Amino acid sequence: MKKPVKNWLLASTVATLLAAPTVSTANDDLEKLTKNPANWATWGGDYAGTRYSQLSQINAQNVKNLQPAWSFSTGVLRGHEGGPLVVNGVLYIHTPFPNTVYAIDQKTKAVIWEFTPTMDADVTIPVMCCDTVNRGLAYGDGKIFLQQSDTVLTALDAKTGKRVWSVQNGDPKLGMTNTNAPLVVKDKVITGISGGEFGVRGFLAAYDIRTGQLAWKGYSMGPDKDTLLKPGKSTTWENGKVTPVGADSGTSTWKGDQWKIGGGTTWGWYSYDPKLNLVYYGSGNPSTWNPVQRPGDNKWSMSLWARDADTGEVKWVYQMTPHDEWDYDGINETVLVDQEVKGKMHKTIVHFDRNGFGYTLDRETGELLVAEKFDKSVNWATHVDMKTGRPAVVPEFSTEHHGEDVNTVGTCPAALGSKNQQPVSYSPQTGLFYISGNHLCMEYEPFEVSYTAGQPYVGATLSMMPAGADVLTGKKDDSTNLGQFTAYDAKTGKIAWSNKEQFSVWSGSVATAGGVVFYGTLEGYLKAVDAKTGKELYKFKTPSGIIGNVNTWEFEGKQYVGVLSGIGGWAGIGIAAGLDDGSSSTNSEGLGAVGAYRSLSSYTKLGGTLTVFALPN
Amino acid sequence: MKTISTATKFLMMASLASPALTAHAQDKFRVCADPLNPPYSTKEQSGYENKIAALFAKQLGQELEYTWLPERIGFIRNTLKAENDNGEGFKCDVVMGVPAGYDLTDTTKPYFHSTYVLLIAKGRGWDDIKDSTQLASLPLDKQEKLKIAMFDRGPGTEWLQKNGLLEYGVPYQSMTGDNEHNIAMQIEQDLRAGKIDMVILWGPMAGYVQSQSSKNSYIAIPMQSSPDMKFDFSIAMGIRQGDEKRKQQLNDLIAKNLDKIQAIVAGYDIPLLPIPAQTIKKDDDD
Repeated sequence: MKKPVKNWLLASTVATLLAAPTVSTANDDLEKLTKNPANWATWGGDYAGTRYSQLSQINAQNVKNLQPAWSFSTGVLRGHEGGPLVVNGVLYIHTPFPNTVYAIDQKTKAVIWEFTPTMDADVTIPVMCCDTVNRGLAYGDGKIFLQQSDTVLTALDAKTGKRVWSVQNGDPKLGMTNTNAPLVVKDKVITGISGGEFGVRGFLAAYDIRTGQLAWKGYSMGPDKDTLLKPGKSTTWENGKVTPVGADSGTSTWKGDQWKIGGGTTWGWYSYDPKLNLVYYGSGNPSTWNPVQRPGDNKWSMSLWARDADTGEVKWVYQMTPHDEWDYDGINETVLVDQEVKGKMHKTIVHFDRNGFGYTLDRETGELLVAEKFDKSVNWATHVDMKTGRPAVVPEFSTEHHGEDVNTVGTCPAALGSKNQQPVSYSPQTGLFYISGNHLCMEYEPFEVSYTAGQPYVGATLSMMPAGADVLTGKKDDSTNLGQFTAYDAKTGKIAWSNKEQFSVWSGSVATAGGVVFYGTLEGYLKAVDAKTGKELYKFKTPSGIIGNVNTWEFEGKQYVGVLSGIGGWAGIGIAAGLDDGSSSTNSEGLGAVGAYRSLSSYTKLGGTLTVFALPN
Repeated sequence: MKTISTATKFLMMASLASPALTAHAQDKFRVCADPLNPPYSTKEQSGYENKIAALFAKQLGQELEYTWLPERIGFIRNTLKAENDNGEGFKCDVVMGVPAGYDLTDTTKPYFHSTYVLLIAKGRGWDDIKDSTQLASLPLDKQEKLKIAMFDRGPGTEWLQKNGLLEYGVPYQSMTGDNEHNIAMQIEQDLRAGKIDMVILWGPMAGYVQSQSSKNSYIAIPMQSSPDMKFDFSIAMGIRQGDEKRKQQLNDLIAKNLDKIQAIVAGYDIPLLPIPAQTIKKDDDD
């Protein structure tokens, strides 16, 4: 009591020391879990987001004998994204709104517990632009983390399903919602935010896994204290080298206070490198809807980020699509693999963007190594200038260059991107990435009247049509397929092979040591292809279209492959309702959509089901 | 097995009976609207769109039935084009206000024409502004003092941009997720509180803002459209594409009641312009 200050300091040091083992346990625990292929403990299978499994019981020779082993209805009709988690034998699945979580005993196929948060549909549903999807759960510290649609982040006891804590991550009244899967990193759980179409300013946030207390929050734009960019220390790729960013780079490429409604939301997937202690992700498109009205690069929308996991401080940031005019939302996942590029080993980060380019960077420094088209029909930019890191934009496909009174025709890819959120997989056996892709182009027709919340303005009509060109060469070929499943070498930027799919592939893939890659299709097929050649080895029609990710795990000595089917999301309403049937002068959500919509709805209907596959006994 | 086949029969009978149910549903005048969007519509049916809907329902001798949903992205998809949960018909048949030529719906003949307005709160040092062009030619030190609202979409922001005033805009969302508060209400509050001194606002909303204060609290200057910037729009009713019968019915009602409708709208302090001859959309000339 004589030296209270010292005592207090001592106490605090002791607390820190005591806390430290817990901190590393959560992290080591999860890392250990992901190293055991019996589990599928994070969205990406591992922290690196490779979606690769060491399991090889199901292989290229015997996968043709695969059978559905059991199935489970989620009881929810909306679009089912994300995939099942399997931790220590228990299977955890989630649903779109109302975000029910089920823990399932694999032995009895019985529900151990279920949890449905209390959410006000009147508040949440109207602000969710693209159906009320959810991309899944995170596990860590004996808890299941659920990022609810209404932005509440909830920690549940993994054994009982009892709520441990909840925290409000955003304000739905401002148009904020959540669709992403969280990621547990050390003693924190990382999450982002959706709502770019409302002008929400994006951020990545880290909460204490034990208490739900906010540890840090880094915005996509704004002053340095908001972005957690450190001038002189945080870097970007400029003039052919890693260059420190200047002060307030998150406001200097915006006019006035426009950054306050600047977008750059963070609704994708997050990955983590434990050795570098960096969290990686992409930020979305800039807001103020009309690009003409937001002059400048609009940094740091459309960017790849590396942040310190403890503090959120930015190590490096790289903007892929400065001043976006096409809605090439940059939120797609980042995969962390070590590869030799141009004769030198690098710890790389690989990202396949909606803009059609596959980016390989050094994830330690942010050095740009490779940027090539993974679909050669992409034409909005000829290439990425490796020195400046900027895309060489083709004026013909720039809505702004044309002026707003002229149609912009044949821009590839369409706004939904050469690839959307569905995560890729990577096989160290082949060294290839497996990309679930879209193969569409778009047309902007200005002078349409839009009406948002009672305010009319001259907008543009967006129509989408099949790319009608070869993925490998970009040559026109009158093809009508809307999807591709592509294998790509991120060391060289070369496409190894690509399979056509009738509809966009909206399901994340998984690659296995059995030499097989699995993915789902919008008609509802689970497919297995040969990792080396792409040859189709197996398919099975699940009850509804698949927009979920295929995951794999082992239980009692048997390898299982599981996927949520349940059409919806952008794939259901965007593709189905927003697609041009090829005839001219049709409109975005009107008559022109009917043909293509009918064609998808004749294959599949709504309804969420988990289907689990295995080889026969 | 027997029970199942009975159930199937019953279902078949139910679906055979459905035309009768649909006919019954047509006896109602079914509207989708925002429950809190003054001056357009409110759950208390105090908006001008509510009044027009009531007028039409009365003349048709039909019961007026509302499906309420906040008017945000996805509104048309989730209302006019959304099937009922029982698979019979749609959530509603009419959306009372959409711009003429709106691409998400088919539209009736327009029933009024209005314009964006530069609305300036009086007594804040801007009382001498008589024309929007004056703002653009203000000396720099005065421009810097502008507190003018700037939305994430709409022609007002475009005007600010073209006149080099974007830097002085106070950013606002064109729509929020707030179901207890809408944009017109927010702007009205912030104008009153002095957070902003002026705004370029769509006529009906400008009318609403003015109606919430004593007369002559604001200067209202209509914005002038130019070939590359459109500020005036015609408002029509939205119906599903292909619903020709209803379109005809509504067009007849609009023609018959145009004076009454315009009087209702004018009662909300909404600036009205003559309805220009309809421009026919090229894919609409059926």
